[in-house]
Amino acid sequence: MSEHEFHPLVKQLLDGDITLAALPPELRAEGEEALHLLAAVDRSPVQLPAVSRRVMRAVASRPARSVWRRVVEPRDVRLRIRPWLLAPALAIAAALILFLRPAPTAAPGSLITVRFVLVAPDAHEVSLAGTFNRWDAHATPLVRSGPTGVWTATLTLAAGQHQYAFVVDGVRWVPDPGAPAVDDGFGRRNSVLTL
Amino acid sequence: MRPEPEADGEIVRAVLAGDRERYAQLVERYRDRYARYAARMLGSADAAEDAVQDAFVRAFDQLSQCKEPDKFVGWFFLILRNRCFAERRRSRTETSLEAAETVAAADRTEGGAETAERRRALQLALMALTPDQREVFVLKHVEGLSYGEIAERLSTSVPSLKMRMHRAYDKLREQLREHT
Repeated sequence: MSEHEFHPLVKQLLDGDITLAALPPELRAEGEEALHLLAAVDRSPVQLPAVSRRVMRAVASRPARSVWRRVVEPRDVRLRIRPWLLAPALAIAAALILFLRPAPTAAPGSLITVRFVLVAPDAHEVSLAGTFNRWDAHATPLVRSGPTGVWTATLTLAAGQHQYAFVVDGVRWVPDPGAPAVDDGFGRRNSVLTL
Repeated sequence: MRPEPEADGEIVRAVLAGDRERYAQLVERYRDRYARYAARMLGSADAAEDAVQDAFVRAFDQLSQCKEPDKFVGWFFLILRNRCFAERRRSRTETSLEAAETVAAADRTEGGAETAERRRALQLALMALTPDQREVFVLKHVEGLSYGEIAERLSTSVPSLKMRMHRAYDKLREQLREHT
């Protein structure tokens, strides 16, 4: 044992397992030295009031949270359809989200193929913006199929919660009235998709 | 009657649903509680401020990976811990004398010059420990956690923590004898 090592009983004292009185007389001085060390521990609080403002400023600058997860396992095919109603200015419009591989008990990390369908006969272009593409209104265009104005896009998304909206003609952001929606903090409503 | 504070899990779920302003509640709730841990680990209130700030921003970015929202604080602590360890690796070659001065300076009004000097000497000695040793000392003797609580938080065993701590005691004694 080096000259700097505390006696094992003194270490028990430091741990709070025994009291100074429980030490044999020859270890009392060493015990007092150890307690003197602990008495110098600085337990005064540290306050960082500026952190809140800085964190929230950074949070506000985030375009969206990333919700991407890894592929882990395939799942059974199921179909669910949600009606979509657009604003009157877009005439008759409806959106369907066809879940090709979802399940209510989605395991975290699994991937689900989701087909987004928007019926918008008067639209010239439609895209999808959401947490899954960093809210890039140009990253995920829907493709028009046929003269009926059906626009579709098929994505593979991680199990979990996503927020999204359709962007019609590059300017009109339309949430899904058939899905839960939340305020995005900037005056718009985002649809919430839980896979 | 004071209203019950909202559970962490409720706030996390609200933030994940898009109400990001609610994240401020979590920051307010845990900011100062973990500031002291970071300050003692890094030896500087300034470094602690950067670390706590970075940890909160990183936690926000990764919030969807918080598998148990009701245990947000334990998850956040691990992010902050990683940040503190990374900081120490990055600045290992830097002297911590100035940092210890910074920590001690804030305390001079509380217990007089002697107390401040003893605190400064101990903080300097703490910075000579390995991060693992320093962490177990800080959690037990600064934060007041039991070995069992520390073991749970760090997913390790009590005997392993005690071994780490007992080495820390010896090293602190050596450092204090050499520098006082």
